[in-house]
Amino acid sequence: MNRIIVDADKSSFSLNIRELLSYRDLFYVLSYRDLRVRYAQTFLGLLWAGIQPIATLMILTLIFGRAISVDTGGIPYPLFALAGMTVWNYFSFVMAQSGSSIILAQEMVKKIYFPRIIIPFSKGIVGFVDFLITFLFLMVLMFYYNYTPTIRILYSLLFILLTVLASLGVGVWLSALTIRYRDFQHIVPFMVQLGLYVTPIAYPSTLIPEKYLLYYYINPMAGIVEGFRWSLIGGLPLNQYVYISFVCAFLLFISGLIYFKRTEKIIADIV
Amino acid sequence: MSEFAVKVERLSKYYQIGNTRSASLRESISARIKSFTKGKSSEKGIFWALDDINFTLKKGVAMGIIGNNGAGKSTLLKILSRITEPSKGRFEMNGKVSSLLEVGTGFHPELTGRENVYLNGTILGMKRREVKNKFDEIVTFSGVEKFIDTPVKHYSSGMKVRLAFAVAAHLEPEILIIDEVLAVGDIEFQKKCLGKMNEVTGNGRSVLFVSHNMGAVSKLCDYGILLQDGKVKKQGDIQEVIRDYTNKATSSNLYLKESLENDKSHNIVRVYTTNSNQQSESYFKHDENIFLHIEFVASELVRDLNICISVYNDIGRAIFTSDRSLENYKIGIECINKAIVKIPANLLTNGEYSFLAAIHNPYSGAIEYLEYICPISVQDNGTPYLKYVGRWFHGDVFVDCHWDFS
Repeated sequence: MNRIIVDADKSSFSLNIRELLSYRDLFYVLSYRDLRVRYAQTFLGLLWAGIQPIATLMILTLIFGRAISVDTGGIPYPLFALAGMTVWNYFSFVMAQSGSSIILAQEMVKKIYFPRIIIPFSKGIVGFVDFLITFLFLMVLMFYYNYTPTIRILYSLLFILLTVLASLGVGVWLSALTIRYRDFQHIVPFMVQLGLYVTPIAYPSTLIPEKYLLYYYINPMAGIVEGFRWSLIGGLPLNQYVYISFVCAFLLFISGLIYFKRTEKIIADIV
Repeated sequence: MSEFAVKVERLSKYYQIGNTRSASLRESISARIKSFTKGKSSEKGIFWALDDINFTLKKGVAMGIIGNNGAGKSTLLKILSRITEPSKGRFEMNGKVSSLLEVGTGFHPELTGRENVYLNGTILGMKRREVKNKFDEIVTFSGVEKFIDTPVKHYSSGMKVRLAFAVAAHLEPEILIIDEVLAVGDIEFQKKCLGKMNEVTGNGRSVLFVSHNMGAVSKLCDYGILLQDGKVKKQGDIQEVIRDYTNKATSSNLYLKESLENDKSHNIVRVYTTNSNQQSESYFKHDENIFLHIEFVASELVRDLNICISVYNDIGRAIFTSDRSLENYKIGIECINKAIVKIPANLLTNGEYSFLAAIHNPYSGAIEYLEYICPISVQDNGTPYLKYVGRWFHGDVFVDCHWDFS
């Protein structure tokens, strides 16, 4: 028996997992739609998901690998940078996509009910296609440079999970904030750009003076990128500050859900 | 086992006027500072869209929600569909709910018809498996089989609507909430959908239906509530509620001009429909005469003017026009002149109609031109054509043709 009770005097903050589960088909279908639409009518189609990281990698290699030649602790530069890019690209994609997701779905949101959180969450699935392609490319590069993964590779699953948490956390925050303040539509591209510089993707964190590290790792992706790279290709051991990043990722996710839940009630009134 | 499908108690919703749109950061920060320095913001900018709504919808009953634009119908549907939350009060629903505030929600132009059926179906709350089971039925109902694997952007708007309707028509909710979605698509298909909806209500489902189409409301619903300015004005048997609505002084079968437009030599100030007893009426049987009263004021005498009316059908196409020269009549200056047009009984078929009233020069153009005013509805009171109503559109007028067989 389905029973719905809505009472303005009793507000609930629960996430209602059972309801979310009953809407899982919508979750898949929305992800499928995004995937289909993304490369619809493009000549190269899914190849674009491979071309983009390769082009970026070439630029980074030329600038940081050749021209500046940063110290990567003995790891070949393309491998070093690509390992960081793999998780970073997922993060920036999902953050940007889910950040604008509610605004872009406003016609739907005004016409039908479903748990709104499905919209930003479904972008998390969409990002995985690009992630897998870049990851595959990373494997090829590791093979080329004769890097055999050790048992540490199991840790990478943990770091991927943390990446998902961090991306959805920031994305959910942004999607709710963008509804209230359209300003965030302009802030997001800037965040993506800035993020690339304050995350150890193109350079190692050893370049950051010790006294700033405490603040540096407030960026959740700083620790996650290093962790992911370490779990796959080793190199320098992780410093003790990375845990700040992990905690931040977790906090972002939880606080994002709470803020989203609070905004959800008024979404249809203000979009 | 509870008896009711929907129970609404003390439901209210207000909007903050001027502050409903999403603000920019700057506005919001300055508002924070203001409210901090000046204390709580006043309540003057509050608009009550719904004010203390109470009703119970029993299981298996179809209820029509009627009222003027801005009466709160859409807000009520949005709250019951859970798109937005009430400010006060509560409601309870027993059963699986589907709400159709539009058809084709989420349709994506780049996706094929097939993919959109799945997308739209799941958005409407179906499981993928359900869509799969009903897929063939949906496609057959829509009549776009041939193009089901073509991207929807290549569809004509009619095809899109048909496909969207077909998905909606195959929902199997216990409680169905529908807004005026029936107002789109071609007449044939609308009728087909009305038929399907009739089936739905026939199967013991509860329906909440909002429409301006009184014909459809009276056909589909047993019970009705009339909303006015966010309050329940009347509730009860649908026919009574419709009568109450259409007979009100401010009802839609009256066109009233508040103040004269000085740049026009002639102003039509009042137009309304009555029955043979001179009572204001917007709900007619097919075998009743319909009287259209036109009151106009002339500020000067102008030669070569005609006064005319047209009758429009429900898709806004003129069925016929009746035109008279004003030359032969004595027109008073600066006073109300009145013309009464009798539209004969047994002419208009079951359906919705509206009028055009105009004062014009046949060669140089119109001075006054009021389109789509005084909507009325005509009900077939038992002609041989009644059996086609809802299944087949047989035309706007009855014509007594002579048949010869040899």
